[in-house]
Amino acid sequence: MMGKIILDKMAMQRALTRITYEIVEKNKGVEDLVLIGIKTRGIFLANRIADRLQQLENVSIPVGELDITNYRDDIEHDSMSADVKMSNNKIDFSIEGKRVVLVDDVLYTGRTVRAALSAVMDLGRPKSINLAVLVDRGHRELPIRADFVGKNIPSSQKEKIKVYVSEIDDKDAVELIK
Amino acid sequence: MTQRYLILEDGSAYAGKAFGSLATTTGEIVANSTMNGYQEIISNQIYHNQIIVFTQPSIGNTGLDQNAYESILPSAKGVIVREYENLATDHFKRISLDRYLKQHKIPGIYDVDTRQIRHHLQQFGNMKASIVDVADDHAFDQLHATVLTNQQVAQVATPKPYPNPDDGDNVVVVDFGLKSGILRELSKRNCNITVVPWDSSSETILDLDPDGIVLSTGPGAPFNLPDSILQMIRDVQSQVPLFGMGLGHELFALANGAKVVKMRVEHHGSNHPIREIITNEIFFSAQEQGYAVDPKSIDHAKLFITHVDLVNGTVQGLRHRDYPAISVQFSPDGAPGPKDSVGLFDDFIEFMARRRDSNGDRY
Amino acid sequence: MAIDIKKVLLLGGGPTSIGHENELDAAAFERVMALKKTGAQIIYVDNNPFSFASEEIQPANVYVQEVNFQNVINIIDKEKPDAIMATTGGLNAMQIAWQLAESDVLTTNNITLLGMRPTDLKKVIDNQKLRNLLTEINEQVIASKIVANDEEAMDFVRDVGFPVIVKPISPSHDTSRFICNNTDELEDALEVSFKRTYIKRCSIEQSIVGYKEIEMVGLRDSNGNKILISGLEDMDPIGIHSGDSIIFAPTQTLINEEYQALRTATFRIMDALNIAGTCHVQFAQSRTDSNYFVTKVSPFFTRNTLLAAKATGYPLTYVSSFLELGYTLTEIKLPTKYSKYLAFMEPTMDHVVVKIPLWPFRDITDVDQHLNTLMKSVGSTIGIGRTVEEAIIKAMHSSQFSPRDILPSVSTVDDDAVINQLIHPLASRILILMEALRRGFSIDELSELTRIDRFYFYKLNQLLRAQDFVINNPLSAQAVEIGHNYGFGDGMLAELWQVNISTIRRINRNCNPVTYKEVEPSAGEFRETTNIFYSSYELENESKSDSGKTALVIGRGGNQLGPNSAADYYTSQILWTLKKSGYKTIIMNTNPNAVSLTPQLSDKQYIEPIQLGNILNIVSLEKPDVMFLPGNRHYLSNELEKFADLNMIVLPPDQKVAKYKNHQATTAIDVFIDQDKIIPITSISFFTRSDRTEVRYINDYQQPMEQWQTDETELISKALKLLDTSKWQGLVQVLFNKVDSHYHFSGIRPIRITETAFLTKTTGVNWVNALVKKHLGILDFNQLEKQLIPETHQRYSIMKAHFPFRELQSSRTDGTTRQEVGASLSFKNMSNT
Repeated sequence: MMGKIILDKMAMQRALTRITYEIVEKNKGVEDLVLIGIKTRGIFLANRIADRLQQLENVSIPVGELDITNYRDDIEHDSMSADVKMSNNKIDFSIEGKRVVLVDDVLYTGRTVRAALSAVMDLGRPKSINLAVLVDRGHRELPIRADFVGKNIPSSQKEKIKVYVSEIDDKDAVELIK
Repeated sequence: MTQRYLILEDGSAYAGKAFGSLATTTGEIVANSTMNGYQEIISNQIYHNQIIVFTQPSIGNTGLDQNAYESILPSAKGVIVREYENLATDHFKRISLDRYLKQHKIPGIYDVDTRQIRHHLQQFGNMKASIVDVADDHAFDQLHATVLTNQQVAQVATPKPYPNPDDGDNVVVVDFGLKSGILRELSKRNCNITVVPWDSSSETILDLDPDGIVLSTGPGAPFNLPDSILQMIRDVQSQVPLFGMGLGHELFALANGAKVVKMRVEHHGSNHPIREIITNEIFFSAQEQGYAVDPKSIDHAKLFITHVDLVNGTVQGLRHRDYPAISVQFSPDGAPGPKDSVGLFDDFIEFMARRRDSNGDRY
Repeated sequence: MAIDIKKVLLLGGGPTSIGHENELDAAAFERVMALKKTGAQIIYVDNNPFSFASEEIQPANVYVQEVNFQNVINIIDKEKPDAIMATTGGLNAMQIAWQLAESDVLTTNNITLLGMRPTDLKKVIDNQKLRNLLTEINEQVIASKIVANDEEAMDFVRDVGFPVIVKPISPSHDTSRFICNNTDELEDALEVSFKRTYIKRCSIEQSIVGYKEIEMVGLRDSNGNKILISGLEDMDPIGIHSGDSIIFAPTQTLINEEYQALRTATFRIMDALNIAGTCHVQFAQSRTDSNYFVTKVSPFFTRNTLLAAKATGYPLTYVSSFLELGYTLTEIKLPTKYSKYLAFMEPTMDHVVVKIPLWPFRDITDVDQHLNTLMKSVGSTIGIGRTVEEAIIKAMHSSQFSPRDILPSVSTVDDDAVINQLIHPLASRILILMEALRRGFSIDELSELTRIDRFYFYKLNQLLRAQDFVINNPLSAQAVEIGHNYGFGDGMLAELWQVNISTIRRINRNCNPVTYKEVEPSAGEFRETTNIFYSSYELENESKSDSGKTALVIGRGGNQLGPNSAADYYTSQILWTLKKSGYKTIIMNTNPNAVSLTPQLSDKQYIEPIQLGNILNIVSLEKPDVMFLPGNRHYLSNELEKFADLNMIVLPPDQKVAKYKNHQATTAIDVFIDQDKIIPITSISFFTRSDRTEVRYINDYQQPMEQWQTDETELISKALKLLDTSKWQGLVQVLFNKVDSHYHFSGIRPIRITETAFLTKTTGVNWVNALVKKHLGILDFNQLEKQLIPETHQRYSIMKAHFPFRELQSSRTDGTTRQEVGASLSFKNMSNT
């Protein structure tokens, strides 16, 4: 199995930079903006976007962490209460009336995002929810679309897309693994 | 070896030896400290009506390479260097610097203390200069009497549109004195390019159904161009992704209400760190600027300052708050100069891709 | 984010050898000065007796021990440092750092490795990992394989074809590589290489002989900001070791696209390795297309890292010290003499620097003197000029062994030999290239034979034309002007015309006077005050003479066998003493690796050929109150003595004044004499490797002497009686030869340079300092005497010389004092003996 780098460190940085500008552009500013990173790598990406917003607009945008394990549609979890489902998350701010941007590393079938949407909805009623992903690799199984995309990487279902973030992976890169 | 003189508006004169053409010329004198790419520098239209002092001590070492011209008809007014080498051909079938300068009627002077001239210009600022046979009163009178044109763009930009076909995004490049490096980078990304004259209207441009528009580099002051250009920019920026460079950046700033000022000493080099504000990282790129966007004049409700020069504090990059429209003062194509910021072209391609993805519903 | 360091262990570079001069010590010295500003306690380990860096550290914190894994572990156990800096200790120190990481010593002791994370360091030290990394980031590497036997090597060659290069893995030193064009050569190379590897593995790789060798030196901070310090171009193609190549800065024959591709590659590599500090990357650049290979990645200080810094005037060592400590480029505050932007401005040059190596073949003759992939040079000199020609000629002046200012002639070499030497170059390579041009070889032909870019032949040709003009127009003002323009100094013109130098200076009165230009990294954009100058005959002079007491110190030039780096240690001590005694110090030197050229040691540096004309020009401008000249420059001292108003002090002393009764010695008494007062310093026992007692074979020293308990007192009084203070002053050594327990007097001589350094390290008294002060008339003799209270000896101090025989593939083991390349220092407790 040989990985091929699709986005190197520089390209990844640029993609996040562009997404940050697009978020400000789309929301006409940063008012009421909150970021929620989806489990491991989405959280680091959300933090990086927040750092950029800090540099750019000199504002501190809240970043939440969402673990959607308990919301996955392949797991029986109807019996869980919302509180239990949310127990792995760190979202210590209200999303009531906020403009929420969900951040994930790869958009694939759309099931993760659907789960995330459910989770966010359990937390309150935001003004809007947008989705930012570093990579959109296609093969959607649900009617979900990202509002901010770092890079479209058309891929076959046999291939794997691996996102590395230097915070935990010792490098920044997106690799296509055949 | 013929002795010739470089004379400056403030009365100073430097004797040196002639190479290239023996023409007598007058232009604004500027020093360039980029250490590679004399060919790209001399053939860049931005030097229209300028005499270039190379601080790089030795140029001509590799001849001129067919793949590295920044324009077909260079229009610099002179080349001043400590030493030049007249290497003609090698594996790459290059021609010699001397022959090239003769062909294009550009005079050169070598064997002068270019370091002293640099110091002089840093101290006394921009000025006119001439390359002459005799440094007498007559020559100085002529120099003082010469009024340099402010119509540089009209003189160097293409009068007619032309295509550079490929099968990618439709990009319209507005030519203010375009450097080929911009076309090369767009071509590498398969853009289907149409280059249009500097005074094209927004209707003309939009009728070409562009996915993106580039405002090119070019010579001279942005405020010498008619206001219709600023109107064109305002018209198109809300419709199509926009990318301005050099003069294009200055025009983009003016179109969005900022002010542009003439610098006391022009800055031509690739040694100034440019800070990208959003990441707080620094990088290097060739800068050839006589004018700068005044940071105090920026309307922050309209524009982001994206890049600044850490040495002189000038605005090096802007982005519109509401549209994917960006501009940079420097030359991200790296012809010559570092390629650190060549990714800006990838960003521009992504702007166009995003616009297509959203089926234009953002506009 | 700066890392908070309280105690840092700095790994030294060890004894000098081929491939390692005093550049590491120079870097370590600057680093120590920078670290002191952070308030961190510095622990230093090095057994190089000629280390200047170690003297700026509290003696209690200096471990005079070989820099190896076990010693470093012991020091860590004792000192408990919270960080380690390995980048100024060469490859050896980096390997130790890696071993420390591998064996969990770093994590267990909670020690931060500065500059690189251990995981990244591993990627550089392990060749296969480096190749994987480079491939991953799309950088090309040459086909290569690690083989354990001849059969595997043959398999590889069947795949990629000849030529191939063979080198041992984990070699005893890092210079051995063999180019093989056929099976016979391959078998020979494998045989030698398998002998030299610790782990019985060799690497075999596709040969890129003939490619251009380009080097890039960059800096990166922990935030990912990068600047390129300089590109360097080897004139000689791949196939000649970069250390034996003539090097140009900036690059001369790359077009912008090629240059920028290598710059970008360097940055990509530094990013991939997350380097905080400096990195030196070597490339092989194709001559026919834009392809290149990455050939070497060195994320630590190398000779050429320092060359890039010297060439640009960028304070690289200072800045990189702070980068390793976690500061970012924009956070570093430079000493006030630099403009505030300088740390993060990319250096641009408006001058040309040429480095020419110095080879040891005058002192070691019976070895293969061909230049190839094995490095053989022991030193180098640089020339700086405003034109390529000027820089070449100045570097050539500086690299000559001839005491007079003239280039050796190779005009007697016959045509066949010229062709042979074009293809199989010797140390005299550049002279042969010029001779071939003179004999009418065409440039295309020469470029084809040598694989040297045609550009360089154009430049050499112009030098020849200028030289012809000068020779054919003797004593004309125009010839002086042209000569000056091309870098021929006054001394050289005088030699060419066979006249006295004052004649040239008279003619020159009507021409442009010499001007000095500053070596600074902004190409004139800012008025930097690096105070590093080189001469050029132009309009603007930037060097102004200093007011106050000034001292001009003439350096030793490039390292050569014999005193080698000890000579530069000596020069550095002279400068340091002068500076501390209130003098404004001016150093003139050409050795890019010299400690004496570190900015802290002098107020002004002249990188100029150490020749009569150049010295006189500087003297005329600076009018120094005192001037120090090394004793081995007899021609210079004779000529300079003619200028009565020069207050000249000869230091280090001239060994020619030594008086020998016979040339046999086993023991010595070292004394210091000031006027009529003599202080005995110590006794010394000499050792030779082969039990010879001839003075020229004495390489190893022990202080105090053997049997000091019984013999020392008597021998000292014997020595004192032999000394006539009207004849001998300063540091003096009385030699004895012990035969059958009798000490026979065999001579008196000034204490040699290496031994002076040894004495300073072992007695705790800085003897160069004492000598300088004595000459300046400011020595406090009583204080010196007090410093040297005779104590009962506690330990033996031993200095053993190192020879470059193995690197030069010579089977010798014993050499003369003139063949020493370095030395190691150790201590032995009395109780153990």
